[in-house]
Amino acid sequence: MTSYYFSIIGTRDNPVYEFEFSSFKNSLAMSTSTSVPGKSQFSASIKEMLPFISNSSLDIIEDAQWTTNLFYLGKIDSFYGLLVNAFITQGNIKFVLCYDVSNGTTQKYDDSSIKQFFIEANDLYVKCLLNPFYSVNDAIVSPDFDLRLKLIAKKYL
Amino acid sequence: MSNDNIILPSAASLSTLSIADNPKSGFGYNPSLGPLSNTITPESSNILLNRKTLSLTPTSGNSIYDKNVNNKKINEINLSSLSFLFCEAVNWTHRNSKGIQDLETRLNGLGYQVGQRFLELIKLREGVKSSKREIKIIDILRFIHGTFWKSIFGKTANELEKSQDASNEYMIIDNVPLVSKFISIPKDYGNLNCSAFMAGIIEGALDSSSFHANVTAHSAPIDGVPLRTVFLIKFDEQLVIRESLRFN
Amino acid sequence: MSKKGDDIWKNVDKINSELFTLTYGSIVAQLCRDFNHNYHEVNNQLDQMGYNIGIRLIEEFLSRTGAQRCQSFKETVEVITKLGFRVFLNIQPAVENWSSDGRSCSIVLPEPNPLNEFVEIPPTKDLWYCQILCGILRGALQMIQLDVDVNFVKDTLKGDDKTEIRLKLNKILKDEVPAGED
Repeated sequence: MTSYYFSIIGTRDNPVYEFEFSSFKNSLAMSTSTSVPGKSQFSASIKEMLPFISNSSLDIIEDAQWTTNLFYLGKIDSFYGLLVNAFITQGNIKFVLCYDVSNGTTQKYDDSSIKQFFIEANDLYVKCLLNPFYSVNDAIVSPDFDLRLKLIAKKYL
Repeated sequence: MSNDNIILPSAASLSTLSIADNPKSGFGYNPSLGPLSNTITPESSNILLNRKTLSLTPTSGNSIYDKNVNNKKINEINLSSLSFLFCEAVNWTHRNSKGIQDLETRLNGLGYQVGQRFLELIKLREGVKSSKREIKIIDILRFIHGTFWKSIFGKTANELEKSQDASNEYMIIDNVPLVSKFISIPKDYGNLNCSAFMAGIIEGALDSSSFHANVTAHSAPIDGVPLRTVFLIKFDEQLVIRESLRFN
Repeated sequence: MSKKGDDIWKNVDKINSELFTLTYGSIVAQLCRDFNHNYHEVNNQLDQMGYNIGIRLIEEFLSRTGAQRCQSFKETVEVITKLGFRVFLNIQPAVENWSSDGRSCSIVLPEPNPLNEFVEIPPTKDLWYCQILCGILRGALQMIQLDVDVNFVKDTLKGDDKTEIRLKLNKILKDEVPAGED
């Protein structure tokens, strides 16, 4: 199962939100096995590297963001079998998704569902931003946000 | 529903979550712990898969995240309501500030917050298919002069001009800025311009898009247009250099 | 009276209510920062600001609606909810829980209201986000010689089922002769 690491990075390269998970597809089959459906299967050594990989892709994002008008930047980086997709908002908030490629899923299919995931995450982010008590670059600690984001992840990935 | 089900962070302000705070429900990112704080557990996995409803905060049942921001119909409100609110805000800001410049800076600050939010909201509403990110100075200014101004104030701004004297200065001109419709400045306040609030909205939008600028409002009446206001947008020098390197 | 409210609403200058919502939010957030999250102070400040607004708002209200002197407090409250809230906020609150002496009642604000859309308050029991409304009511009614106590009892932002203001008439102020006149 594909494992994912999703992070929202603010304008000062600071992580505003992070979430590690694995694909929720085929979760019915999985519930009989010992592993928890949705729990990320990254090995410990890769787990340590994930924030670094996300962060290092920021350079590439910053280059890419000035060459295209699109919000969804697509696959922008890869690192020893981990792929990195990114999405950037008008307000320069970056959504970064690192994932390992597993057998059985085609690249194209993943791309459109990743794009949809980002679009709905953007919607959630704007709702969070509309709250006057939340400032740009604050960490997003709301459990309601977390729950709904996890539901979006389950829906698309 | 007993109160035991709702675990609120112990800190008075959510921004001071420490390593010790870990919501038992498994939902809620804690920046001091990182991804460990909101990772999937057997309980949370169960909740997600079975779509159980969960009360995580007092307002979970009526959460802002369930509301629709994409509504086509814009709700309206009386202009007087905003005018009363704004006048009182100016009053209160004036009592706390040390002079006209300080007052204008504070009004700018109030508008800044509004501008940051409107920028993301309006871009979201433009829809995925037709919207694009603005990456050039002239594009973001056209966006602000047009779509942005229209969404917020109900009409586009009147003119968008580039300064003849300085390469990093632009001007957006509004013949009847909303704020000026209901505020009149007493004589002893000199050149106070309450459109500093609107200047703040522009500045918030530009800064968020990483076009850092200083925006100030200046009264520039001409014949027949007494309330005409010029919003002077002064970009950082480095920005203009960056722009010419990128796109030439 | 609702029809009168609709007619007046047709003729007012209208703006995007989100601008109002975000401006109010910006003001409250700034107050919280200025008072260092002392929410009692913030409530007081909002109430005071509301009072200053209320004493001026009543004039515009009376001139727009041409409302006549009310015969009873009940009528006053009806005019406030059917006309006042409609003309200024474009919402229609409900009135309930009248006390037996007819001097206090509850005004229940509909959801959503333009002041608190998209707001999630910090985890505190102390902040009444829409406190400015209490001040406005107090100030406006004072100008028509009614001394009232207005305060919030429930707020959906805190997780309650509705947003409720309790309005209590203390006394009717006699018209005072200005000093220096006989």
